[in-house]
Amino acid sequence: MANSYLKSESKKLATWYFTVAATLFGAQLLFGLVAAIQYVMPGFLFEILDFSVARMLHINALVVWMVFAMFGSVYWLLPDETGIETVGIGMGKLLFWVFTAAVTVVVLVYLFIQVGPADETSIWFIHEGREYIEAPRWADLGITVVALGFVANLFMTGMKGNRSGIVTVLMADMIAFAGLYLTGMFYTDNISVDQFWWWWVIHLWVEATWEVFVGAIAAYGLITMIGAHRKVVEMWLWIEVSMLFGSGILGLGHHYFWIGTPEYWWEIGALFSALEPLPLVAMFIHVLYDWGKMQGEEDAKGQEISVITNKPAFTWFVLNAFGNFLGAGIWGFFHTLPQVNLYTHGTQFTSAHGHLAFFGAYATILVGMMYLAVQGKNGIKVLNNTKSTVWATSMIVGGVVGMTVALTIAGYSDVIISRAQMGATWAGYFDAQGTTWLVQGMVWRLLMGVVTFVGFLFLAKDLLSIGKATHHVR
Amino acid sequence: MVDGVLMSQDILVDDFLTIFVSSTLVLIFGGFYVGIYTAIKVNLLKKWMMPLGYFFWILTAYCLYLMGSLMHVNELTAKALVVAAIGLLLLPHAVYYMQDHVHQENEH
Repeated sequence: MANSYLKSESKKLATWYFTVAATLFGAQLLFGLVAAIQYVMPGFLFEILDFSVARMLHINALVVWMVFAMFGSVYWLLPDETGIETVGIGMGKLLFWVFTAAVTVVVLVYLFIQVGPADETSIWFIHEGREYIEAPRWADLGITVVALGFVANLFMTGMKGNRSGIVTVLMADMIAFAGLYLTGMFYTDNISVDQFWWWWVIHLWVEATWEVFVGAIAAYGLITMIGAHRKVVEMWLWIEVSMLFGSGILGLGHHYFWIGTPEYWWEIGALFSALEPLPLVAMFIHVLYDWGKMQGEEDAKGQEISVITNKPAFTWFVLNAFGNFLGAGIWGFFHTLPQVNLYTHGTQFTSAHGHLAFFGAYATILVGMMYLAVQGKNGIKVLNNTKSTVWATSMIVGGVVGMTVALTIAGYSDVIISRAQMGATWAGYFDAQGTTWLVQGMVWRLLMGVVTFVGFLFLAKDLLSIGKATHHVR
Repeated sequence: MVDGVLMSQDILVDDFLTIFVSSTLVLIFGGFYVGIYTAIKVNLLKKWMMPLGYFFWILTAYCLYLMGSLMHVNELTAKALVVAAIGLLLLPHAVYYMQDHVHQENEH
């Protein structure tokens, strides 16, 4: 992974993280495809790789590749923002290998052992049974050590170097990120209480700490790619942080509707869920405004050249602004008010929202960061698109949007039959599963999943080869 | 658990499609309003298109009203939805004001 253009050890470490992240992204899509096939053909890989295991690998790989890419993004931007090399880089490298080894062992256990004896041994060595964060306890402890080491590196570097607004926000955000993971690590006998704390990780991660992280990365990207004014970008970053923490933390209430928590959570969850799209709208305006303003200044000078120094990365950053608004905003809003969530909770609507929100809000910007790393690694001033860039972007975005539409149609059938007409009974569930709309929706989801996976292959090829193309400005 | 506080009435089966479509349109029309407003402010669109932007906000507010009515939301949630609609109307103005102000401070 050594490269003559990368002088910074922190940036070299970032490329390691991005490499593992991209690999896990591929694994996520592959196991998603297996699960999608099993929905249509239930006998596929029966007793070899069952649906429960394929799904577990699909959603855990999603979380883990994003965490890898987030750590990589921070290690990438730290030398630029602080003006110094990351402190404790040796420890950073050691923790990278610990993290990668732990994830590899956990995946092998999921694949080859799969099910434990349902006692303490399972929790410690197989998996904990909590969606998205199913790592066994030994790996949980390892992940905590890795996260704390990462936060220590971030803090030591931030305190020693030039502490920009972006770094300050990241320092606060990553403490919350690491701390919240602990809430999903202890067990209680009561499943409602267990779900309550489990949501602290998942919701407060994605709708508070991850969204704030996206704001910080978007700020760094705008400064790097279009030369946006730091003061403007950082001013807006602080506003987004306050809005996201406000709506994100109290919006957590919309996950509490049906698990036996006090009823005031209905009111709080409904109110702040309705307000959650507002910071996303603001982020959307922010990106468009800054790009329009910078391009307008260049045009006024009579320059016809684009202000964008990394076209693929900027495309993914803009997709993030739209995707965040669509996936988290629109697909989130239309089923989070309790009046309608009573009917939509846990149906294919949730799946539609989950697919578009994770992709739109996080995958897009993290892929954009990978392109920024490719640019830096190859010493390129202006990185242009290739045919593979266009194919990768179009097929991944088209595939995910297609999956979302298919799941939304399936979800509508699910809601009407299994909830509204049949009253959330088992008979209603099975009747809904057999309807033409739901079955065809699942077939279309599979086809769109194939499109997404082919798009990923183009993306992998592009990330590995784009630096060698000759049409960039060096 | 499920008492009359928020779930004052069941949603009619025939109303589900309208609810989902109208709630989706709330944000799609809202997106058009915000997009047109922003594009005009950064000179990507002509100023005379601004009424079109506000027309999309009116459509947004109507869809919000339709969605809330069919969902039979209680009084508090209805107020929250009105606040959200007004918030969406004001948000681009506030963002533009702040962005422009800081830009000018840094350029002159």
